[in-house]
Amino acid sequence: MKKNMLWIALAALIIPAFARGLWFYRGIPNQPKISTPDYQSLTISQPPLETQSVDENIKQTSGVVLFDLAHSNQYQASEIQFLKEEIEKRGGKVESITDIPSLSYKLKYASTYVVISPANTFSGEESKIVQDFVNRGGRLLVFADATRGVVYFDSFSGSAVNYSDASSVNPLLSLFGITVNNDYLYNVEKNEGNFRNVFFEDFGKNELTFGLKQVALYGTHSVKSPSGLTLLRGTESTLSSINDAHDPAEGGAVLSMNGNVLAFGDFTFLTFPYHNVADNATLIANIADFALGGNQTISLENFPYIFTQSIVQIYPSTEVQLTAETIAAISDLQSSLIKVGMAIQIVDEAPREGDTLILGTFTTIDELLKFTDTFHIELNEASETITVKNFGKIGRAGNGLVLFEKSKKGNRLTLLANNPEDVLSLLNTITSGSLSNCVLQNDIGVCSVGFGGSFSEDAGAATQEPINGDATPKPDSEATPTPGG
Amino acid sequence: MNQAYWKWEHVRTWLLWLTLPLVIGILAAAVIPQPVVGIIRLDDAIYSSTARSMIAQINYAIDHPEIRAVVLAFDSPGGTVVDTEAVYMELSRLRAKKPVVTAVNGMAASGAYYLSANTDYIYAKPTSLVGNIGVIGYLPPTPFIYEEIISTGPYKLFGAPRDSDMRQIDMIKEGFFQAVKLGRGDRIKIGLEEILSGQIWIGTEAVRIGIADELGTETDAFNKAAELARVAHFKTIDLRNLAETSISPYPFFLQSPDGVNLPYPTESGMYMLFIPQLPIKQ
Repeated sequence: MKKNMLWIALAALIIPAFARGLWFYRGIPNQPKISTPDYQSLTISQPPLETQSVDENIKQTSGVVLFDLAHSNQYQASEIQFLKEEIEKRGGKVESITDIPSLSYKLKYASTYVVISPANTFSGEESKIVQDFVNRGGRLLVFADATRGVVYFDSFSGSAVNYSDASSVNPLLSLFGITVNNDYLYNVEKNEGNFRNVFFEDFGKNELTFGLKQVALYGTHSVKSPSGLTLLRGTESTLSSINDAHDPAEGGAVLSMNGNVLAFGDFTFLTFPYHNVADNATLIANIADFALGGNQTISLENFPYIFTQSIVQIYPSTEVQLTAETIAAISDLQSSLIKVGMAIQIVDEAPREGDTLILGTFTTIDELLKFTDTFHIELNEASETITVKNFGKIGRAGNGLVLFEKSKKGNRLTLLANNPEDVLSLLNTITSGSLSNCVLQNDIGVCSVGFGGSFSEDAGAATQEPINGDATPKPDSEATPTPGG
Repeated sequence: MNQAYWKWEHVRTWLLWLTLPLVIGILAAAVIPQPVVGIIRLDDAIYSSTARSMIAQINYAIDHPEIRAVVLAFDSPGGTVVDTEAVYMELSRLRAKKPVVTAVNGMAASGAYYLSANTDYIYAKPTSLVGNIGVIGYLPPTPFIYEEIISTGPYKLFGAPRDSDMRQIDMIKEGFFQAVKLGRGDRIKIGLEEILSGQIWIGTEAVRIGIADELGTETDAFNKAAELARVAHFKTIDLRNLAETSISPYPFFLQSPDGVNLPYPTESGMYMLFIPQLPIKQ
């Protein structure tokens, strides 16, 4: 009995605690395995550095590479240091252009025009000047950059506006079938220290990609040219920020169909310390080769850079006397040529070789036959006209002829007009550097020089002054028509 | 009399052997505490003050056995990297002892999601904002010198070269990514590319892609925490009241001249922070 009571007492003692415990606690919780990152194992990624040996046998060439600074370009001079060094190693010279009015003038002698991240759009007229330059054989090199847009406050809408340089360069590049997208490329799987620093390991076959195995761009727009060649192609995990998708037709750089326009979506890879990552230095060297490879076809439009030697011989024919007016006109020409590193020399015999300027009248055309023969000019005494191939009959009064002939022995410019006064007027027109009152076809120009012996009143007024202090390298005879000095 | 005596003896026996132990047992049972599920709320960015408060609450939960589980309730865009990591590491200590469940209210973005990933279960509202996995930092300027400030090295004033800063940020991102991978494991149904895109998802999407577990309320979170802790009939307690923490007023976010909080931190640095862009036109 007592034993039973003992059990009952024990149960009475335990049951409340047991019941309460059971009321609240239903078992032993599972203990999950807690894993946290191994912070110690995380390391800072280091960029793959250029490992290729530097080629000491750099082919020497020449040419002027013109950097645009006239469109509020978003870069500092120090940032083009490495590209500049590569250009100079090859014998090229670097100039910059800070004002738009001198664009057409400077493009007469430049080998390549380089545009980096402009904040201002290229106007239709500027684009046309550049297009003409490229059509003449000059080269255009455009670097846009996704990290160099300009953010400004729009007081009208009250919001910040991000103006991408893609908008500025596209009017220009569209003339060559190239588009820079207003995006950036990224790769979260394989990148150079950050998702927006993209590696390229697939290259379009071209001299520009020679020797490249891997290139890194830093915040690049995607660039495309359906008719051209994509030079830097990303992997499938390289996506555009526009649609988070990969487009094999787009890349970090493209070359236009004619091979004279090169567009990059990035500029940062040219700058320290990224110029030396992967094969970027090799790419920069290749770009320098490209920049000095521009070879403009010399035409009248290039004046005064139609001459390639340091001295221009001037030969006035018998009817063109060295009067005070003639000396004044030649003096103006001399001033113009000196500024671009050329001197003049008046000669009394028709030169056989060297750069030459011939001044003559239509009546002395027989005397100058050896200079005009190739242009098939016929003098019609009866009708007071001249017949010029591809132009037909042209009135002699008030018109002048500009004939340009290139040869390995030297380039020759022949100016012919109805009388000595018109010849001087024509010379002034040529000296001004503006052939706006001339009709040009290939190497022949027909210019209006007034009416029957009067000087054009504004001749020389719009003289395009060469920019003082600009380097104008001595070219080889086959290269870009930059005058020697 | 014998019968009366017998009856009294009978009652006395029962009193002695049953009622008394029962009373004692009931009194003793009262010592068994009612389980508590604590809640730690974060309705602010993660910075020194809020992190200190959270850590104090976590420590309180660890030290008090009656607290059987904890719910983290977030409405936070994240915060500084170091403060987020500090809370994350303390949270790991707590999780080793007690289940922790997340209830996302308005937002668990960036650093707040970093913490959420270190919990056992994540509830979100249908339109809570979840994710924004990644790191953001302001690169220091290229070193220059001031006439009036003398320092002893080029980076004394600027901290680090810009390039190193960029690479450090990416390394920190790698830690974040590992934390998400380890915390969520197989529950994540999207690839690396999407996780690292920095995207922020609404709750329904977050559940679909596996960065959250279920749509639910704070009550659901309490119940889940209790279920994981194997307790019932629990009571809930806001640990901020018990841990005697206070959040000192600190201007983490910039303020506009008219006193409106902007989404940008006042100090430059590295952040696991969701910064919604002010309207910018392209």
